[in-house]
Amino acid sequence: MTDVFYTLTVSHFLILAAALFAIGTIGVLMRRNALIVMMSIELMMNAANLTILAFARYHGGTAGLEGHSLAFIVIAVAAAEAAVGLAIVVAVFRTRRHADIDRLNLLKN
Amino acid sequence: MWTSNRMWLAPLILLALLAVRAAPVSAQPGHEGHAHAQPPAAEAAPVAPGEPTPGEAEGDKKGFENSRMAALFFWVLAGLTLGGALFVITRRNLISAVMGMVGTFFALAGLYAMLYAHFLAAIQVLVYAGAIMVLFVFVVMILNRPEDEPWAIQGLFGKALAGLAILYLVARLSGILWDIKDTPHAVEAGPQPPPVRVAETAGAHMNPREAFAPGTGPENERTDAFGSTRAVGKVLFNQYLFPFEAVSLVLLVAVVGGIAVARPHHREEDQRPTVAA
Repeated sequence: MTDVFYTLTVSHFLILAAALFAIGTIGVLMRRNALIVMMSIELMMNAANLTILAFARYHGGTAGLEGHSLAFIVIAVAAAEAAVGLAIVVAVFRTRRHADIDRLNLLKN
Repeated sequence: MWTSNRMWLAPLILLALLAVRAAPVSAQPGHEGHAHAQPPAAEAAPVAPGEPTPGEAEGDKKGFENSRMAALFFWVLAGLTLGGALFVITRRNLISAVMGMVGTFFALAGLYAMLYAHFLAAIQVLVYAGAIMVLFVFVVMILNRPEDEPWAIQGLFGKALAGLAILYLVARLSGILWDIKDTPHAVEAGPQPPPVRVAETAGAHMNPREAFAPGTGPENERTDAFGSTRAVGKVLFNQYLFPFEAVSLVLLVAVVGGIAVARPHHREEDQRPTVAA
């Protein structure tokens, strides 16, 4: 049983990524502040990146470096998403004076 | 808001799941299909390409450092990651949430470094913990009304901690400056890095499938290790040049779109009040 704590495997990183993704999902579902929701989405993207890099480490070689390229592109896309999302949050706050996603139901029904 | 005290059961549950799930998984036989895979060369032990390394025979444990120090680092970084993430989704104060996020990103950068993704660890710190979090902090400061919990160092303990941090910073900086004053030619006296042979690496070895066989290329092993900037850059600029350029276009569009969305529209609405939305 102590082998789990002393011997690192790829499973450790994968389970950590899964837990991080679960926390991000809980944040998206439970919180109402739009900024916290966006941060939770960033957490989920980081969990995906951790999975990619764990598998890249596991395979090694050129396949692993392709995984690194994919993780790099994920980071760039996450930066673009953060820029656009935060601009939307600022625009919504400017017109409505709040950023509560439960009250942003203009497109509902 | 969702900030009840029962939230603190969540890390315990997650840790229990982690321990239970990790036990059978790590006992499974290893992955068989790494015919072309090679052990990452960051350990710099000159191994012949065809010869299996001792770590490779262990299957699932292949390539991971199985020292207790590495395990300790992993558990500390994993705790920091999950703790920061839980901090993000439980705090009512937005600045606290952002600070938890920064902690999560730094811990994740450490985990990336443990996975030999050194370049991506640096990118993680620069882009996430630097740029994206600064963006979040700016938006939080724009949106927060001033009566919403102004964030300040409170209490005697916080002030003592801040004073100690400042004293440490000043002591380290003055120490560095003192050393520079004592030895003015310290930079030139340092060990010179080996020259990078650009002409050889740019010519015949552009095939990314062959460039990473250990010990065959003209590159030295120190700069061409798995996950280094050079290795990732070669793959990124040879095989994945089009996605790279497409991502740069995505970033450009995102910047322009962000400016267009966040720009104030009051003046246009005043001039054309009858335009249907």
